Amino acid sequence: MMVQTDFQMTENRPLSNAKLAVLILLGSETMLFSGLIGAFLVFRMGSVAWPPLSLAEIQLPRLVTGINTILLVISGYTMFQALRSIQLDRVKLFQNLLILTGALGLVFLIIQGWEWIQLIEKGLTLQSGVYGAIFYVLIGCHAVHVLGAVIWLTIVIGMAISGRFSSDSHIGVETCTIYWIYVVALWPILYFLVYFA
Amino acid sequence: MIRHIILWILIIGFVISILPHTLEACPACKNLNEPIARGFNWSVLFMMSMPFTVFGIIGGSVFYYYRRAHNKLKT
Repeated sequence: MMVQTDFQMTENRPLSNAKLAVLILLGSETMLFSGLIGAFLVFRMGSVAWPPLSLAEIQLPRLVTGINTILLVISGYTMFQALRSIQLDRVKLFQNLLILTGALGLVFLIIQGWEWIQLIEKGLTLQSGVYGAIFYVLIGCHAVHVLGAVIWLTIVIGMAISGRFSSDSHIGVETCTIYWIYVVALWPILYFLVYFA
Repeated sequence: MIRHIILWILIIGFVISILPHTLEACPACKNLNEPIARGFNWSVLFMMSMPFTVFGIIGGSVFYYYRRAHNKLKT
């Protein structure tokens, strides 16, 4: 008879402790972002002109960010497919999809960093009143989460390459996928809110 | 018994009499025609809805996972 370890027994529950922990983490993240979005709503609806007249000549890069949004959404799809692959024991495809997802996440961060440099050069900084402050805090907070997700994914890629996951045991991939998809799903909301509202 | 009923009617009547007629999401926003007041109002309403959304999603997920496992056991 095969003896299960405590970890395997936990993993075989309908909802493992790890998944529940990630759900609670995402709940607290949602509260954090809803607070920031709430602040944005106050500033946006409280202003007669948005952006303020002093910053009217600064245009947010909607097109580049739109393309960046598509890249991030594709990364959500590749991450989901990576999870499907390991569930079907297609290890090589799983590893490739994880690497592709990580690369897309990195490209998203690099493009966003480049955008920020352009905006700072044009004069939009944290000190540019509430417009600059809420823009950098809201978008920056999401970027930090993408960075965290990329770091987490890098660890998962390392574990995948060393053969730590199989169709029976892949809770680490599942939790990372939940977090990644959350970060991806959050971005279009922030994009339309900040760039188009 | 009748004393209790009268007492409860008095208590409920007192509570109803001190209730405000209208409630706003943001009590500090006296004049909702001002943009900043509308901003506060929508922001408060939005944030008030989030705990319900969060607990609903977490509770719904727990329910879904257990229901799926239960259905798998049955089949």
